[in-house]
Amino acid sequence: MTKVPMARPSSRRAFLKGGLAGAAAVAASAGAARAGGETVITEVQDWARYPGDGVDARPYGRPSPFEAHVVRKNVPWLTSDTISSVNFTPLHELDGIITPNGLCFERHHAGIAELDPAAYRLMVHGLVEKPLVFTLADLKRFPRENRIYFLECAANSGMEWRGAQLNGCQFTHGMVHCVMYTGVRLRHILEEAGVRPDGKWLLAEGADASAMTRSIPMEKALDDCMVAFAMNGEALRPEQGYPARLVVPGWEGNMWVKWLRRLEVGDQPWHHREETSKYTDLLASGKARRFTWVMDVKSVITSPSPQAPIRHGKGRMVLTGLAWSGNGRIERVDVSLDGGRNWKTARIDGPSLPMALHRFYYEFDWDGSDLYLQSRAIDEKGLVQPTKDQLRAARGPNSIYHNNGIQTWHVDKEGVVENVEIS
Amino acid sequence: MSKYPEVLVAAALGLLAATSSAGAQDAAAGEKVFARCKACHAVGEGAANRVGPHLNGVVGRAAGAIEGYKYSPAMTEKAGEGLVWDEPSLTRYLENPRGFLKGTKMAFAGLKKPQEIADIIAYLATFAEDGSQKAAQADPAGDDGGRDAAGAAETDTAEAAGEAEEEPSQAGADAAPRADEPTASSVASGSDGLKFGLGREATDDEVAAWDIDIRPDGKGLPEGRGTVGEGMIVYDQQCASCHGDFGEAIGRWPVLAGGQGTLRDERPEKTIGSYWPYLSTVYDYVRRAMPFGDARSLSDDEVYALTAYLLYLNDIVGDEEFELSRENFTSIDLPNEQNFIDDDRASEAHYADRSEPCMSDCKEGAPEITMHAAVLDVTPEDSDEKESRGGGID
Repeated sequence: MTKVPMARPSSRRAFLKGGLAGAAAVAASAGAARAGGETVITEVQDWARYPGDGVDARPYGRPSPFEAHVVRKNVPWLTSDTISSVNFTPLHELDGIITPNGLCFERHHAGIAELDPAAYRLMVHGLVEKPLVFTLADLKRFPRENRIYFLECAANSGMEWRGAQLNGCQFTHGMVHCVMYTGVRLRHILEEAGVRPDGKWLLAEGADASAMTRSIPMEKALDDCMVAFAMNGEALRPEQGYPARLVVPGWEGNMWVKWLRRLEVGDQPWHHREETSKYTDLLASGKARRFTWVMDVKSVITSPSPQAPIRHGKGRMVLTGLAWSGNGRIERVDVSLDGGRNWKTARIDGPSLPMALHRFYYEFDWDGSDLYLQSRAIDEKGLVQPTKDQLRAARGPNSIYHNNGIQTWHVDKEGVVENVEIS
Repeated sequence: MSKYPEVLVAAALGLLAATSSAGAQDAAAGEKVFARCKACHAVGEGAANRVGPHLNGVVGRAAGAIEGYKYSPAMTEKAGEGLVWDEPSLTRYLENPRGFLKGTKMAFAGLKKPQEIADIIAYLATFAEDGSQKAAQADPAGDDGGRDAAGAAETDTAEAAGEAEEEPSQAGADAAPRADEPTASSVASGSDGLKFGLGREATDDEVAAWDIDIRPDGKGLPEGRGTVGEGMIVYDQQCASCHGDFGEAIGRWPVLAGGQGTLRDERPEKTIGSYWPYLSTVYDYVRRAMPFGDARSLSDDEVYALTAYLLYLNDIVGDEEFELSRENFTSIDLPNEQNFIDDDRASEAHYADRSEPCMSDCKEGAPEITMHAAVLDVTPEDSDEKESRGGGID
């Protein structure tokens, strides 16, 4: 028997107020007497009396119904149609560095392609000694590797260039996820076909109805790229490119072609739509940068944040967030409680892997006053996460992509958190 | 073999040894100094051009000589005058890049310590043009030869250990010893060339069925032709419901025409005419992905006709009789082609400044909120029907 949770309050503020009131009531009763107590302790609960579901009830396990609100979310006004759109990872509800498969943000250009793995083929051709076709089973016979990498859309935080706009880190920063990929080196696949000396570029193409294409320099293709068929130990999810996708560590997510169907070797880039009209960064001068592949050093505080307000009142608290860089490992994360006037170095916990998410914590006693929370990451190359003002000064407000500016959350005396920009 | 023989390198370094007052240059120390250059420059096996050109074989090389790297006009001019990167010229350049070469793209402020400059040149001199190390040949220090060679060996070990940490399963391949006198074939080998006997040969028909991509030089264009007038008919039937009658777009579907001269505006309009660099991209994209919901349904002639009509909507051709074909396709340039530049993020002030970030009393006064997201109220939880102030993804 599965208990259905009570409906959640409809608005975040209503929930917050309820939470605070509840906390106050508990505090008062705890101070009042040694007798009595919370009924969840003093009375036998249903789950402690009656047996629950058997092992046949949930052949593919799902999160607790009490976690039903932890879902990817869409921002309807962003795009014309959900089949060419994006949804966002609920970063504020997650911990550690691994994103659960069902919560990894989605970006499609023609919806989710549903491929039968028996009909899957990968073709390698162009400037190669011998054009080849592989089945999925063929791919799995190359030596396999397991690697943990973040994948960030170049447009992550793109809606925030002109100022604070979306009220939650799910929306401001949720076009990122981090999983462990299992797959094979792209290098092995290319060498099986034999790349000719003049093969300096690679075109990767997806099998979906957008036939997504990106040009990738051969140095990167032969360095650390993978063709992955599993994430977090299970087959790729359809929305992440089942049965096989490209992994381009540290580089913008658009290049990680899903439903990978074709690899063409050439002697120059193709300048296709996704690397000319899109994913180029318009500067104030009217010039536009192209081939801006690397994702810059970046961080965000995921809690507290607008969707994860402080519900426990003043006193001991845990601030936590994520940091990442396409240049390698994160060396350090600093946190400011006063809008960048003073900084303290946060504690990174968990694995510190190149081009993977890093989890940081900063524990402190909140005195109940206003906080202006910021985080600032520094990567192993010594690059420091810039402020949004610095980025706008260098690029103007119309770059769309590669906004890795420092995020500010204002926490008011009640613990309500808002996305703001400050002086 | 290097175009600039080791003799020249040795001569350069010999000069360095003669002029260096603070003891011999030290390639191992130079490698540490080079950490400050790595954000923009790569060196070693497989090094590629990044923000700056790769530096394999730079000591003794003609300036501005790396193929595929876009040098500043200033550097190109200097190269034309015959500048060669030897120890004296590199020393002056590294002391004060913009002082030595006004207009250089290198945003680096310069190395102030002569010893650091000597060390870094010694380090770079250990790399041959193909990225292999040639520490033994290039070492000019005579009596110090043993010490320097040992230093280089230590460096190798440290590098291999570092890579082993990062990628345990690759440690064996990466830590393979390098040959004393690398040849082209030994450099190209390593883990290359390993065959697993997997996959089967693709047939010509299979390649033809999937290989539909077009490049700016016209590679991939199929036989065919279509006029502006023919394109208008196809456009009205297949495209106008999303992109509007004149390419002005409905809702948030992409705008296709207009916007020329707006790229520096507060609200630039990026269209085929105002922004896209190459016409080949239009043909390629329409053929592979349009019309949305029925991809690959247009004939090659229809795609030529549509491309011609899009040129007409963007005032790039003015004649309704204009016919676009494989034969005349590459004669058409889009107006904004010259306004695309390569990635130079590393030269931005906030990245070029490599000093330690401020930790205390970094700003004056208490923070004041200048902009609220909540006031805007466009977050889905609060309202699903709001329009933003702009700045969406696309």
